[in-house]
Amino acid sequence: MKVLVCVKRVPDTGGGFKLTSDGQRVDTTNMDFTISPHEECAVEEAIRIIEKHGGSSTVLTLGPEQAQEQLREALAKSVNGAILLEAPDYESWDPAATAQAIAEAAKPGGYDILLFGNECADACNYQVGLRVAHWLDIPCVTGIKALEIQGNKAIAKREVKDGWEVYEVSLPAAFTVKEGLNSPRHPSLRGIMGAKKIPIEKKKLNKREPQLVRKMLRKPQEGRGQIEILGQGVEAVPKVVAKLRELGVI
Amino acid sequence: MWDFKGVDYYELDALLTPEQKLIRNTVRQFVNESVLPVIRESFEEGHLPRSLVPEMGKLGLFGANLKEYGAGVDSIAYGLIMQELERGDSGLRSFVSVQSGLVMYPIYTFGSPEHKKRWLPKLASGDAIGCFALTEPGHGSDPGGMESKATKDGNYFILNGNKTWITNGTNADVAVVWAKLDGVVRGFLVEKGTPGFSAVKIEHKLSMRASDTAELYFNNCRVPKENLLPGVEDLRGPLMCLNQARYGIAWGAVGAAMACYEEALNYSKERIQFDKPIGAFQLVQRKLVEMLTEITKAQLLCFRLGQLKDQNRIKHTHISMAKRNNVAMALQIARTARDILGANGITLDYQSIRHMVNLETVYTYEGTHDIHTLILGHDITGLEAFR
Ligand SMILES: Cc1cc2nc3c(=O)[nH]c(=O)nc-3n(C[C@H](O)[C@H](O)[C@H](O)COP(=O)(O)OP(=O)(O)OC[C@H]3O[C@@H](n4cnc5c(N)ncnc54)[C@H](O)[C@@H]3O)c2cc1C
Repeated sequence: MKVLVCVKRVPDTGGGFKLTSDGQRVDTTNMDFTISPHEECAVEEAIRIIEKHGGSSTVLTLGPEQAQEQLREALAKSVNGAILLEAPDYESWDPAATAQAIAEAAKPGGYDILLFGNECADACNYQVGLRVAHWLDIPCVTGIKALEIQGNKAIAKREVKDGWEVYEVSLPAAFTVKEGLNSPRHPSLRGIMGAKKIPIEKKKLNKREPQLVRKMLRKPQEGRGQIEILGQGVEAVPKVVAKLRELGVI
Repeated sequence: MWDFKGVDYYELDALLTPEQKLIRNTVRQFVNESVLPVIRESFEEGHLPRSLVPEMGKLGLFGANLKEYGAGVDSIAYGLIMQELERGDSGLRSFVSVQSGLVMYPIYTFGSPEHKKRWLPKLASGDAIGCFALTEPGHGSDPGGMESKATKDGNYFILNGNKTWITNGTNADVAVVWAKLDGVVRGFLVEKGTPGFSAVKIEHKLSMRASDTAELYFNNCRVPKENLLPGVEDLRGPLMCLNQARYGIAWGAVGAAMACYEEALNYSKERIQFDKPIGAFQLVQRKLVEMLTEITKAQLLCFRLGQLKDQNRIKHTHISMAKRNNVAMALQIARTARDILGANGITLDYQSIRHMVNLETVYTYEGTHDIHTLILGHDITGLEAFR
């Protein structure tokens, strides 16, 4: 089994963020970088598939030199190999160009399974996985929360209101996964130290003309949440239930 | 609970390697996900959160800086691990300090090849727990006066004496015990269950409640002669171990201080009095600014201390300065944070008071604040003021 998992280096905006003055980018001065929680689950799934079925997993990113940090984290968790598609200007790449470049890089690898996050954590275009599958002419199931490999087939489940949609696809296939698919492991210190020594395969990419051009980013007003205490103990239950209904959660 | 982002006013993160950052972030996440949800209960009930031990072993937190048996991380990464653990709780950091610096380190450094093979893999994975027994009821700051004794008897040593305030004492599978053999301090590995050896939990602590502290009794305890640590004689042995652990404490204290500062800062922006967030008052701002400044100074001490350690230029007095300064500053910050939290600050719903009472121990153990003052005083004047 050969598994490819694709991740994107994005600023960790958990502690708040600012935009650059031209409104084109998140100001990343002194910011940490990370990958999206969906992608963390994709990495974990890749590792679990290999642990269960044997073979090798590879992590790929299209990004700047520094994105090796994200690749090494996946290696530290025991992904076997890593590919960096070097694009220093990756922030201006649109999903079509990104997908085409990934598909071209993935093709010679002969991967049985391609995993993506359902969406990346910054642009949230929901497109790259689907477009890569299209370029490679393989089936794709998006937004999955369960995946099981059975020989040369895969069963993927997507959560819908009141139940599951279940897909059976033949391999090779692509899947975009959602947080909750599994609970990602932490890398061990030994893994982190070992990952330093694994070589990363680097490929230089030529700039492609984007078809989709970003005009500007706008940061929404930060809403200051209101705290409303609904009651104490059992008496609060009906009110909590009513509130959850009102919010459409149940 | 908000997601802890660390306190980094002077952009020290920019000086860290990607591995150091990843290690720090991994332990930070572990503390968020696994420690903070259980620590209050452990503290309240007065026991070690034992279920965390295998997980810490899996992450590689025990003996992390050892080249064999551990991941061989550098000193700054090791310090960052301690910082993040103590951001959770000083008791948890104590557990790891003892396991790593006071048990694995002496076995690694002074032990026989058999000692290493028998104990280090199990201690690294958390399948075995260790403790370090130096302090006695009559000898704390002055361990050289210890009364515990070993006498040779054929293939055995016979140990007699009491040790007290021993972290991990009742949970330990192996104790590194320091006792005098023919008047010279030596280290012995005493296994749980050895006849004549018993451990009794110290109850009614109001500090380090999430840590196991015990009194150990050795009553004609027969220890096989192979269990003597061959590689070291006299107080140099325990003092070398303590240097490892004190190094970690200097970093750990910063973690506790960060937790308190962050809690106080967030609280001060949300708590309204006189129609304003209390953080809008000058007196509160001054407290917060002083906390942040002290944390930043302590971080700089740690960072440089780590460099000195990795370059083998570290002196024990360097470590004394950082332990002394950082623990005192953390204790002060915890008290100030408790103050800013008002009445809420006295409950375990917030972290500050837990850190505050824990830091009272940290101020005393591993060389009291004043003993480190005397160590530094001796170093700069050449005049000894201990006795
Ligand atoms: C929770 C906890 C865990 C511990 N874990 C361990 C452990 O795992 N292993 C272990 O061996 N020990 C452990 N200790 C013991 C700790 O190291 C000792 O408590 C410490 O060394 C101080 O000794 P003491 O308590 O006997 O105080 P003392 O030495 O009696 O000191 C009392 C006071 O006198 C002052 N003082 C002493 N001598 C002088 C002097 N010459 N000049 C000026 N002032 C002086 C001290 O600074 C202090 O203020 C632990 C302690 C605690 C509280």
